[in-house]
Amino acid sequence: MTSALGFSAQTLSVLAVLCDQPSQWQYGYALAKQTALKSGTLYAILIRLADRGMAEACWQDEPGSGRPRRHLYRLTAAGLASASVALGSAARPTTTKARTAAVRGAVVGVAP
Amino acid sequence: MNKLNKLNQVAAAARRAAAWLLPAGRWDWAVAIWAEAHEVPPGLTRLAWRAGGVWAIAREGLMPRRLGRVALFAAAAGAAAWAAWPQPAVGHAGVSQFHVIATVLLLATLPLLARRFFGAPSPGRAGRSLRVLCCAAILALLPGLTIVEAFANLTPAQPAYKYTYCIAQGWSNAQGCNGAPGQSTGGPPWQGEIALLLMTIAYAGVILFLTSRRSQVTRSTLAIATTTGLLFGVVMYAVAPLGIGRGASDPWLPGSTADPLVALAWILLVGGPAAAAVLAVRRARGPGGAALPRNVRIGQGIAAGVLANGIAALFTSALGTGTVALMLRSTWLLHWLNHGHYLTAIAAYRYQTNASSDAVVYLFMLIWFPVIGLIMSALGAACTPLGRPAPEELAPVPATPG
Repeated sequence: MTSALGFSAQTLSVLAVLCDQPSQWQYGYALAKQTALKSGTLYAILIRLADRGMAEACWQDEPGSGRPRRHLYRLTAAGLASASVALGSAARPTTTKARTAAVRGAVVGVAP
Repeated sequence: MNKLNKLNQVAAAARRAAAWLLPAGRWDWAVAIWAEAHEVPPGLTRLAWRAGGVWAIAREGLMPRRLGRVALFAAAAGAAAWAAWPQPAVGHAGVSQFHVIATVLLLATLPLLARRFFGAPSPGRAGRSLRVLCCAAILALLPGLTIVEAFANLTPAQPAYKYTYCIAQGWSNAQGCNGAPGQSTGGPPWQGEIALLLMTIAYAGVILFLTSRRSQVTRSTLAIATTTGLLFGVVMYAVAPLGIGRGASDPWLPGSTADPLVALAWILLVGGPAAAAVLAVRRARGPGGAALPRNVRIGQGIAAGVLANGIAALFTSALGTGTVALMLRSTWLLHWLNHGHYLTAIAAYRYQTNASSDAVVYLFMLIWFPVIGLIMSALGAACTPLGRPAPEELAPVPATPG
């Protein structure tokens, strides 16, 4: 199931979370919890977004107590623009019911 | 809990194995997925996270194109190993079997090591094509060498052939060699096979390095080296498709017909790498046409010369031993190379024995051609007038774009 812009429902849910606080860096497990995606799906999406230049990644400067450094992610300016359009398109009434249902939870509270 | 720990260890091992399949730019992601597992509650949830991570990494690594290349290599390596696999009755069959397995494993693992230590292959088709060509040549050498070695050590079943066999074995008469008729008298020694494996590593290693980004060998250098090497290889093969020995090559190009080609082969052996070096030095340009410093341009010239003669040696050896092996298996080739003239059975056997004995020359070729290439290209590159360096030539070499 893909949107008009070629994003799957899972990708849209990741974009929705990243759009929520676009200036803040997010880490993988937090994204997984918010989107309810498994690691195999989540990282495949993040890799694709980074390849397309929609997301950027960096390593945390210092490791936390008792854990290694985190790999952090956020949307680029281009990614934010594309994500806004894609999420807006997915939320419109003209989209299919199934797609709307799949991404509804993710886009709530995101301004198109 | 112990079981979970073991499963986590298995997942960690799978992650390390899967990470080898990844292109260099993806390693960060593999590390990231693993580091994130520390956030996940221990137990099944963490195991599931890691399993998902392994799956994501493996899927990334085994992209369709890569999968296609792996399948193609597996098919070619399987075919070469099948053709080269010696029968148990062959002398020192275990040594030959070890050689086949070790060569295939080397060809499978060296590109992975090269990617880790030398970086990705250089951009453009020249580098990748050269890698494929050399891999194919090394695989083609496998059955050729094994079949030729097995024949060279096989005592003929017919007593009439024994004299020819003993002379080819280095004896002055038929009294010295006492192998049982139809039985193998020996085979490749371990030392020889290990030396051959080291040579394979050297060839594959040098070619993988020169076609990697770290070496900064330019596309034009690779193209010049490949063209020169293949031209020299074709001439060298045409001179002596059945081994370099005069007796073996006579049927193909007898008498004066061969002489101009032999002269051309000598010219190309010495002049080819020098000419390739001069051309490579003159044409060496950085990304965007930027001028390169003098030492980098000389380096390009030397790389071109070594590669040219190395490619020629590989090409000639693979085709040469392949032709000899084919002739040993099916005598129609020998009759065809004799322009349809009738050959008695003993004359055919003499040709086969001479050709299989002469095949050792290909190994010398594999050793010495690149050395000659190195010397001649160093001379050629050093003698190439570069003119006064422009100010921009003194600037550092720009990094090759990723």
